[in-house]
Amino acid sequence: MTRRIVQGLIAGVLLLGITLPVAAQRSPTIAVAANLNFALTEIAEQFGRDSGGHVELVFGASGTLTRQIQDGAPFELFLAADEEFPNQLSRAGLTRDAGVVYAVGRLVLFAPKGSPLAVDERLEGLGRLVKSGGVSRFAIANPEVAPYGRAAEAVLRKRGLWDALQTRLVLGDTIAQAAQFATTGNAVGGLIAHSLVLGAGFSDRGTYALIPTADHPPLRQRMVLLKRAGPVAARFYAYLQSPPARAALKKHGFVVPE
Amino acid sequence: MWVRDVPERRLSVTLHQPGPIPLDVEFACDAGDVLAIFGPSGGGKTTILRSIAGLYRPAHAAVRSGADTWADTDAGTFAPPHRRAVGFVFQEYALFPHLTAAGNVMTALGHRPQHERRDRADALLNLVHLTERSGRRPHELSGGERQRVALARALAREPSVLLLDEPFAAVDRTVRRRLQDEIDQLRRTLDIPLILVTHDFEDVVRLATHVLLLERGTSVAAGALNTLMSRPDLSWLREAVGLGAVFDASVARRWPDRGLIELAFEGGMLLAADRDLAMGTTVRVRIPAREVILATREPEGVSLHNVLSGTVSAIHADPAFDHVIVQVAVGRVLLLAEVTRDAIGRLGLAAGMRVHALIKSVSIDLLAVQPPR
Amino acid sequence: MDWTALRVSLWLGAGTIAILLPFGMWFGRLLAFRQFRGKLLVEALVTVPLVLPPTVLGFYFLVTFGARSPLGQAFQALVGESLPFTFEGLLFASAIANVPFVVQPIQRGFEAISADIRDAAACCGLTPWQRFLRIEVPLAWPSILTAAILTFAHTLGEFGVVLMVGGNLPGQTRTLSVAIYDRMQAFDDRSAGVMAATLLVIAVATLMATTALSRRVGPRRA
Repeated sequence: MTRRIVQGLIAGVLLLGITLPVAAQRSPTIAVAANLNFALTEIAEQFGRDSGGHVELVFGASGTLTRQIQDGAPFELFLAADEEFPNQLSRAGLTRDAGVVYAVGRLVLFAPKGSPLAVDERLEGLGRLVKSGGVSRFAIANPEVAPYGRAAEAVLRKRGLWDALQTRLVLGDTIAQAAQFATTGNAVGGLIAHSLVLGAGFSDRGTYALIPTADHPPLRQRMVLLKRAGPVAARFYAYLQSPPARAALKKHGFVVPE
Repeated sequence: MWVRDVPERRLSVTLHQPGPIPLDVEFACDAGDVLAIFGPSGGGKTTILRSIAGLYRPAHAAVRSGADTWADTDAGTFAPPHRRAVGFVFQEYALFPHLTAAGNVMTALGHRPQHERRDRADALLNLVHLTERSGRRPHELSGGERQRVALARALAREPSVLLLDEPFAAVDRTVRRRLQDEIDQLRRTLDIPLILVTHDFEDVVRLATHVLLLERGTSVAAGALNTLMSRPDLSWLREAVGLGAVFDASVARRWPDRGLIELAFEGGMLLAADRDLAMGTTVRVRIPAREVILATREPEGVSLHNVLSGTVSAIHADPAFDHVIVQVAVGRVLLLAEVTRDAIGRLGLAAGMRVHALIKSVSIDLLAVQPPR
Repeated sequence: MDWTALRVSLWLGAGTIAILLPFGMWFGRLLAFRQFRGKLLVEALVTVPLVLPPTVLGFYFLVTFGARSPLGQAFQALVGESLPFTFEGLLFASAIANVPFVVQPIQRGFEAISADIRDAAACCGLTPWQRFLRIEVPLAWPSILTAAILTFAHTLGEFGVVLMVGGNLPGQTRTLSVAIYDRMQAFDDRSAGVMAATLLVIAVATLMATTALSRRVGPRRA
């Protein structure tokens, strides 16, 4: 009796294994920098309504996504948070062309409700808090893989706070994770993407100040079509440069080049 | 060695190996023989059984059963156990825990067509008196019952030889007696040799027709039971069991009011303590050497009942012991007597002398009993 | 609740078992019954995935089979896609990561069968294959089942390897564990919470099943 159960189980499992799902959807997969979480979700939905095309979005840090593309990940379009990562791919011959800058991002200093941090665009409040030793943790994205993290480092260095904050930094492996840390009370605050603050409705969860673009290398965000891109991805690429998409991007705090 | 005129079922075994388990034995058995392999624990007895079954491969082995060659390492042949018609009863029985008694027996019936198996299994379990328990799993059976299942399973194979590894080691005294009798009865109906490994000499004395004494893998003595038992020079046998002649006798007469029974043997008559036995019943008799007194003159007015005349055939003085073993031929049977050195000197005992062996009736052990034919 | 991700997780678990159980039964039995030189090393190698961080496994997998490696390029030329970033690649990596979960319990299960019983089976006239099917497997089956359940549960919980080797592709390599991470980054805590609770329930159910099974092993050893 028990022998039959075993045989049945093994047969069942083997049968399951044989009928593996062969790459389920054939919708193109788009690699998107994490700061575009809300903006792109909205645009993709719009794209679906407007043209009937369906795309799958995968969010991550630009550096991580670049690495994956180099290792063979089947993305068809890559929306990075900077220009250097897509250029790396172009130079390696993995893209159709050099792509276009589709948006310019902004950095904000965010402090959740109840935090001792007073936000201002010159980071003076942060400076005071550092001096008084009141900073438990401060969140930024990992500068190695996230362009917004690199920008945050530049800002902190400019204000002379980089060294002082070294032991207090929590690094998110994407800007979204950094935003997580900054907004959930795990840190006194952080330097995160303007688009994320707007998208998640954080304006009522704390205070924030826009960091002047002069304080960091510009967050010019470039997108590229990969060599394997199909027609739907190409259409989406075009759509992202069209008025409805540009309006959505502006709504999410991006500056859109003319 | 011992040769009979029925060579078709003969099992012949030759095993040689210097190490890691030293082996050096050579013997043959015919149908109806019960060969007891006896020796101290760890001496290689089980290895011999395993070699016969094909579970162990010594450096040099030649095992033949009738016309089949089971092993011939010189020729490169070594049949695995499932290709040898061997029945093996393991020391701890090794019953399959997930099967019932009947299931266990049926596992060995693969050589029979499917529709016959259930009936054959039932018949075998009936043979070992285990019919009502056939639906039980091993953990629900007693030690004695498990042994019977193991026996039935071994016989199910229709083997050419039955191997038993310390069959009575795991059961207590009373169960042991019963099992010994049953196996004794069983083997008379089987037409195959039985090889039994044991470190308990009682088993040997009760069941064996032939004995092979094993010490560290080497055969130190082999032969028919009586011949072997009456060898005076096996000092470790003395240590292990106590020396004494073992031979068969038959009931000649009973004197219940005197409390005595008269036994005829190949050397005369013996009087032993009375037992309720029919005339003509064959009994196996053992007379411990310690209980035998020697006299150079026929004594008068003694209380004991047996005064047998015979000739000293051998004297064995082992320097490790104070006593000397004297072998006395009484008719065709050899008796042993344990005597002090002093007495040897005093009586001037020597081989060839005529002596009288004095034995008390109560000193005679009656071991196995077979009803008259 | 991301049903697609749940489906991917379940397929991954089932697929890993389908690949590893036959292997485990063969190899676990071999380790249980045979002695050979270097056995200690082999047993240690089997255990390695247990103690290595999943990122190490992921790293070596990418280095060996990624599009920048010769093996990876050959694979791509043959099949048309890369091995990482596909469900099949994930399955392969998962199988390697789960070897100890399959081999060790099965090995213990076979080890628990006394040599006498196997010898007795041989003396009953059973061929090696018959011995395996009729005596050894029925006696070892609780541990075989345990191996399957443990592997399934462990696969459901895999994260590091999945992320590194799979790339979080929806419908293909986005398992439930990765989906939780994904939802959190999108600030969708409610979804993440539902999925986390699901995985927790599965984990507890698994532990209960394996505990009940290990008790079963007792009374049979009569």
